[in-house]
Amino acid sequence: MAAVVVLKNVVKRYVRGKQRVEVLHSLDLTVESGEFLALMGPSGSGKTTLLNLIGGLDRPDEGEVMVAGERIDGLSSGQLAKWRARHVGFVSQFYNLLPVLSAERNVEVPLLLTNLSRAQRKRNVQAALELVGLADRAKHKPAELSGGQQQRVAIARALIADPTLIVCDEPTGDLDRESAEDILNLLKTLNQKQGKTIIMVTHDPRAAAYASRKLYVDKGRLTAEPERTAA
Amino acid sequence: MKYLPLVWAALRRRPGRTLLTLLSIVTAFFLFGALQGFNVGINSAFQLMNVAHLVVNNRVSMNAPMPLALGAQIAAIPGVTALTPINFMAGAYQRPTNIQVVLGVDIDQLFKVNSDLHASSEAREAMRRTRTGVLVGRALAQKQGWKIGDRIPIHGYTMSKRDGSADFTFDVVGFYELDQPEWAVRIWGNYAYLNEARASDKDTAIEFYVGIDDPAKSARIAQAIDDTFANSGNQTITQNEKEFFKGVMSQIGDIDLVVNIIVIAVFFTLLFLIANTMAQSVRERIPELATLKSIGFTDSGVQWLVLTEALLLSIVAATFGLLLAEAVLPRITSVMSSQGIGPMHVPRAVYGYGALIALLLALMSGVPPAARARRLRIAAALAGR
Repeated sequence: MAAVVVLKNVVKRYVRGKQRVEVLHSLDLTVESGEFLALMGPSGSGKTTLLNLIGGLDRPDEGEVMVAGERIDGLSSGQLAKWRARHVGFVSQFYNLLPVLSAERNVEVPLLLTNLSRAQRKRNVQAALELVGLADRAKHKPAELSGGQQQRVAIARALIADPTLIVCDEPTGDLDRESAEDILNLLKTLNQKQGKTIIMVTHDPRAAAYASRKLYVDKGRLTAEPERTAA
Repeated sequence: MKYLPLVWAALRRRPGRTLLTLLSIVTAFFLFGALQGFNVGINSAFQLMNVAHLVVNNRVSMNAPMPLALGAQIAAIPGVTALTPINFMAGAYQRPTNIQVVLGVDIDQLFKVNSDLHASSEAREAMRRTRTGVLVGRALAQKQGWKIGDRIPIHGYTMSKRDGSADFTFDVVGFYELDQPEWAVRIWGNYAYLNEARASDKDTAIEFYVGIDDPAKSARIAQAIDDTFANSGNQTITQNEKEFFKGVMSQIGDIDLVVNIIVIAVFFTLLFLIANTMAQSVRERIPELATLKSIGFTDSGVQWLVLTEALLLSIVAATFGLLLAEAVLPRITSVMSSQGIGPMHVPRAVYGYGALIALLLALMSGVPPAARARRLRIAAALAGR
C-alpha cells in the first residue's frame, strides 16, 4: 500500500506570551492508504496540532509534510486552500455546520468550489446523505437534527468531494454513547467498504478501538504505546 | 451566483438584526431621495415662476402694511404697465385648522399684471358686479367642494370688521386656472370690499403686484421703484416672483445646505450602524468562516463573501429606499402643490449618487470585518483562540 501521509522531522512551536513553546518535537509519521489511524493522548499533548499539520490547516516550523503525494509545508495560503478542497475532508467535535442552511445545502458547500453543475451537485449530495443514512432529513436545518445526525451531516460534507483523506478531531466528543457508536461504525464502514483513509484524534479508548492502528501523542512525541508514569 | 446562498445564509442568520439594519438603510435612502425630490420641487417651482411681474413689499417686514398712495407713484415709473394693491385676510373656513387666505385686489389690474391667470369674461364681470365676490382657483374649489353661487363664511384671524366681528362672507362668482393647474389654489377677492370692511389699517396694502412691459428690464424697474422710496418712511423691496419666493424660502433657511447636512448626518450615523452589524456578524461566525476555509475556501474567497454580504445589504436596501421615495413623492407633491412647490421626483442623478453612497457605505463598513475574515487562522479559530 502507498503512503498517503509522510511526516519527517516535524517541529511545531507556538508563541505563548513571551515564551516559544515547542509542541511537536522532530516527529516522524507514515500513514498508509486505507488505514484508519487513531491518534490518542492527553489534553495538550499535541494531537490536534499534528492533525492540523496533516490536514493543511497549519504549517510546521521545521520538517516535511507530504500528503497525497504532495509536499504541503511550503505551499502558499491560497495553494493550501485549493489542496485542502481536493484532498481533505474535515470532521470536528462541534460539527461546525452553517445553522441557517439545510442538511443538503451544508453538504453541498465543498462542491461549490468545483465546476460541477447544479444538477450534478444535487445528485452527489443525495448520494452522500444516503451513505450516512440521512436522505430523509435532507431539508432539515441543523437545529432540527440530533447531535448524532448533525455529525452525520458533517461526515457527508467531508466525503462529498471524494477526498484522499478524512481527518476527524474528537468526532464523538460531544455525543452520547449510542450516537457515538453510530458515528464510529459509520467511519469504520467508510474505511472498510469505501477504502477511505481516516485519521481520528480522540482521547476515548472505546472510540480508538474502532481504528485499525493506534498511536499515542505525548509531550509532542509519537509512541506506539501510552507512556506509563511511575507509581 | 452559486455562492449567493452562502451570503444569503449569513444575512438570515440573525433575521431580526438584518431586518432592522435593512430598515435603517431603507429609511436613510428614502430620506435622501425624498429630500432631493423636495429640492427638485422647489427648483421646478422657481423655473415655472414668472419674472414678468414684480412684487413690492415693505423693506422693514414683509408683513408690514404700506400706504395705498404708494401705488400711484409706482404706476408712474417708466416700464410699469399695471398695478394692483393687495390686502389679505387669513381665516378659518368651517373648522379652525382649515385656513383660507383671501387676497383683495383690483380684479382688472390683476389680469393685466399676470397673464398666466385665466378666467372667463363672465367670471371677471361677476367680480366687478359683486363686492363680496371671489374668484377661486379651480384646484382649491375642487378640494373644498365649492361651486359658483356658494357663500363661504370665513372667520378672520388677521383682520376684523368695524362692527367688532371677524366673520366675513364671500360669494363664489367664478374660477380661475393656471398653466400649472395644481397651483390654482388662491382666492382672489375685491380690495375695495376688504378695505371698507376692516376695522384698522384702512387704505394700506401688504404688497403691490406690478406688471412691466419687458421682463428683461425687471431688475432695472425694481431698482427704480425701490429708489423712489429710498429716503421715505416707507422703504420698499421689489423683486420678481422668483426672487420673492427665494426670499420666502431663505427665511426658512438655505434649503440646499439643510438637505445636505441632514443627508450627511444620516449617512454618517448609518455607517456606524452597518459597520457594527457587520463586525458583530463576523465575530459570531468565526468558527463557520474557519470551517469554510478548512473546506477549501481561500482567504480572499472568504473575504469576498463578507464583503458581498455588506454590498448586498447596502445596495438592496438603498434601492428599496429610493424606489419608496419615488413612489411617495407624487403623493407629497399633491399635498405640497398648494404651497407653491412644483412636481417632485427622484432625479436620475440621485440614483447614481445613491449607488455610489451605498457602495461606499458597504466598503467602509465591510472592509474591516472582511479583512478580519481574511486574516483568520483556521487552527486558532476552530480552537476558539
